[in-house]
Amino acid sequence: MNRALGLVGLLLSLGGCVIGVGVLLTGIRRNRPQLLRLGLPYALVALGGSVLSTFAMQRALSMRDYTVEFVFDHGSSATPLLFNVATMWSALEGSILLWGLILSGFTAAVALRFRQQLSDPLVAWALITMFVVGIFFTGLMLTAANPFRGVVPPPGYEGPGPNPLLQNHLLMAFHPPMLYLGYVGFTVPFAFAIAALATGRVGEGWLVETRRWTLLAWGFLTAGIVLGAWWSYEVLGWGGYWKWDPVENASFLPWLTGTAYLHSVMVQERRGMLRVWNLSLLCATFALTILGTFLTRSGVVESVHAFSSGNVGPILLGFFAVVVMVSVGLIGWRADQLRSSGRIDSPVSREGAFLANNILFAAFAFVVLLGTVFPLIVEALNGERLSVGVPFFSRMSMPIGFALLTLMAVAPVLPWRKGTGEVLRERLWWPAWGGVATLLLALAVGATGPTVLLAFALAGFAAGSAIRQLVLATRRQGWRGFVGRANGGMVVHLGTILVAVAFAASTSYIRSAEVTLAPGATATVAGHEVTYLGSRTVERDNRIELISEVRVDGDKIYQPRLNRYRMGGMTLGTPSVRVGPTEDVYLSVSSSPDPATGEVRIRVIVQPLVVWLWIGGMVMVGGTLLSLFPGRRRNPLAPTSAPLPSAASTEGETVG
Amino acid sequence: MSATVRAQRWRQLWWTWALMGVVVVAALALSIDTTPRTGTDDTRLYAIATELKCLQCVGESVAASQAPLAVQFRTEIDDQMRQGRTDDEILAFFSQRYGQEVLLSPPASGIGSLVWIVPVVAVAAAALWLGATFGRWRREIGARSTDADRDLVAEALRRREDESTEQPAGPGPGGT
Repeated sequence: MNRALGLVGLLLSLGGCVIGVGVLLTGIRRNRPQLLRLGLPYALVALGGSVLSTFAMQRALSMRDYTVEFVFDHGSSATPLLFNVATMWSALEGSILLWGLILSGFTAAVALRFRQQLSDPLVAWALITMFVVGIFFTGLMLTAANPFRGVVPPPGYEGPGPNPLLQNHLLMAFHPPMLYLGYVGFTVPFAFAIAALATGRVGEGWLVETRRWTLLAWGFLTAGIVLGAWWSYEVLGWGGYWKWDPVENASFLPWLTGTAYLHSVMVQERRGMLRVWNLSLLCATFALTILGTFLTRSGVVESVHAFSSGNVGPILLGFFAVVVMVSVGLIGWRADQLRSSGRIDSPVSREGAFLANNILFAAFAFVVLLGTVFPLIVEALNGERLSVGVPFFSRMSMPIGFALLTLMAVAPVLPWRKGTGEVLRERLWWPAWGGVATLLLALAVGATGPTVLLAFALAGFAAGSAIRQLVLATRRQGWRGFVGRANGGMVVHLGTILVAVAFAASTSYIRSAEVTLAPGATATVAGHEVTYLGSRTVERDNRIELISEVRVDGDKIYQPRLNRYRMGGMTLGTPSVRVGPTEDVYLSVSSSPDPATGEVRIRVIVQPLVVWLWIGGMVMVGGTLLSLFPGRRRNPLAPTSAPLPSAASTEGETVG
Repeated sequence: MSATVRAQRWRQLWWTWALMGVVVVAALALSIDTTPRTGTDDTRLYAIATELKCLQCVGESVAASQAPLAVQFRTEIDDQMRQGRTDDEILAFFSQRYGQEVLLSPPASGIGSLVWIVPVVAVAAAALWLGATFGRWRREIGARSTDADRDLVAEALRRREDESTEQPAGPGPGGT
């Protein structure tokens, strides 16, 4: 029943996409607007199919319908409700189902948003592109990664449940959907980029149309990455949150190119330049989401997050190749129209800063991509086996991070066209002293190490610039000084700076110790008293929890756990963290109590400012939301020095 | 009014910026921690373990894993720290025994060095290309402003400023 329902849904979705492509192509070729208007109904049919198949999967999971192979492999009678829902994205087939659902959701949303312009070939081409991507993913589900494959379960079968790592924390229910909303969201600007190339209307119109969609995708991706880091911190038990693992890199790569695009698109809007570059960035962002899925789902790169593998690798690699070839081919074909006449007057200008920003982000993406695939390349070349890990990425990303912080300090105050030393000295005065003050403050509270302190100083400088812009904007416009792209962007900058400071501080000043404690014994780690009180066992449906009670600094009691899962017998620790504004005390039990003495081994990790990573992430997402609001924008034709129009006259024109 | 003007003049004086630079350099110099990384503490152990790959695990470092081999590696690091070896000596020991693969930081020699060199070369090339483009753009700008042109602009701006102070009711020029 569930299998049939799911397959019907997939076929419906595939049908909607295939017929949609056919009808829209015919409409474009024969110039029939009435055919083009059918884009919306077909998008809704595809969405309906995806919803139906997702519903079937959720129904199968909640009914423990073990005749569905996916449920047979990953479901279990003992999994609690929430994790049962999340089981869908704990393995390959189900996560592609989620991908398909979100993709058809975005397709329908685009069709609805542009329902008045459906007969415009540009919108039609965008929908065609999205339908084609939809065909690919639905096709994948009907062939190599079928979530509704059947199986005959033995009587009394209970199911293994999802990978214990994935049912150990609540965040697992939210992190993958967020990430996928980000990944898939970038399909929208990609589709419009392809549409602009296909129609030859490579002017600036489509950029304005997709500005918010790109921001939205970027916000979701940011939230997904931060939630993923938080999940690692709360679950993996080693006190870290980011280890440059291939899966993490796969999510970071589109974030980097997407961030580069969000900046360089402003140069194009303003000056009509960088068209090829912006199109390439959008295509690269989309292609990198596919490449990332390939890297992490095909098993070519080993990763702690690669929770599944199958024979989808070659198919995804093939699709990646097609995306790259089509993008490059179309850009080459339209090369003449893409050539821009503009030039940048001076490197010391807003445009110049955006160019520098793009070089840095592109370099960052290149370093991450190279580091991720380098072991593969070397092994293919001469059979040598070597590893690229945290030390490489830290060393390479540090100078890039410093350069980005410096740019974040200088760029917001730079005028368009040409900046002078006088203007810079005038505007950077307070931000620069902000940097100096941050440095002295850090020194006063006992921070050591010139590199970390330089990072703090640059962060203070950059924060000063962002705050300066926000203060000026709110002075002029009141609360509206926080909304709109420029002002919301400054809030995002502040969030990024918080993340950078927290990252630098927590990785540089980490202190840890592994202590063996008998019940009642106390140890002191990095100035914190840790008292082990005792352990108890709690039996749950899916696991047995060994809960250790640990008192920190004679105050509250924390309960790090060791969970032994009934299915598979895997034992996983769940750390417990005393979260504080200045310092986290992270407790992780690494052994069950010694039968003779009752002693346990506890690893205590003290890291400063970790909580500001999550706060910074929230500020980034909040800033993205503020950027989505229409701010007051200048008439693009008016000179830079023209006053801003009054609020009433701009309300209408900034929609889009 | 005169206070802001005076403050703005401060911002243009080179030595106030030099002072800032001196403060920064002095503070950074003060913060240099010269104590060498020795001793046997857990923080150092895990710093070294982060550099080593857990050969038994999937994509985890020796620091992050609870696999038996990772635990054994950490005991080995601890022993070597007790013998007073430096970080580099300990890492060299592991790479000799378990091969290049155990180091998470690729070697600076042989084919592994490419992963360090290629990005630097690429960024340098991009920066050079950008610099050359700016140079070309500058040469392409045929008309150059002369001092006389600048005087004209300054004169016009001054006149406009005078007008706006005389008629405060009108909207002043916007922008930051």
